[in-house]
Amino acid sequence: MNKVIQGKATVVRSRRDYPKIKSETILISKETHPDLVLVIRNIKGIVVEVDNRLCHAAIVAREFGIPILMGVKEAAKRFKTGDRVAVDFERKTIRKMK
Amino acid sequence: MKDLLKETYLLDVKKMAKSIERLWQEYQIVLDSKNPSWEDANRARAIIFFLGYFYPEKIVSESLEKRVPLIRPAITIDKFLEAVDKKDGKILKKYAKNEKFHKLERFYLLAKKIKNRAKNGSYLDEERFNRLYSKLKPKGYF
Repeated sequence: MNKVIQGKATVVRSRRDYPKIKSETILISKETHPDLVLVIRNIKGIVVEVDNRLCHAAIVAREFGIPILMGVKEAAKRFKTGDRVAVDFERKTIRKMK
Repeated sequence: MKDLLKETYLLDVKKMAKSIERLWQEYQIVLDSKNPSWEDANRARAIIFFLGYFYPEKIVSESLEKRVPLIRPAITIDKFLEAVDKKDGKILKKYAKNEKFHKLERFYLLAKKIKNRAKNGSYLDEERFNRLYSKLKPKGYF
């Protein structure tokens, strides 16, 4: 599994945002919802504000082998859909790319 | 909720499943009720908070953190969760006859089932709950 991934971010604020995901993306959210599995093929990485092994995002990430970065404070506020981001899962960082 | 906590201490997964179902039915009765009170709505709120967040993410999580290290041969909690979620054949075969492993696996799968429970198109029927709660919320409630 890659330790660093780069790509376009999609910020999800409600379950209604999931069907809008039509291409490969890095999902950024406060927490995820079961509807995430409907678009799971397009999710190359998950970044969430919550930090718990049994939160929905962590479970889905393990099930589908998707890299996840948890505990990113205010991630859904700091980024917006369309931002290009680089996520380093080893250093536990996310940054906006120019 | 007290029964569920007691059954969690006892690690009686069958009884835990029954208690969770009882709480879910109690929650559904409030949501289905024609004239629920503000108190009913808050009973439902307590249940959805407990089942949807506090029980799996605090109680089950901490219980697994405490119990998984007691499995022999040793396995970390992250490896345990990954093995169960990914159905990792190599690890599952290694613990195929390990009663502690299987008991904790059943316990984890029960908690996971709550995290994936949806009704009327929303997680834990929360949209219906949110509508009910907003409707009954008294003016000036804080």
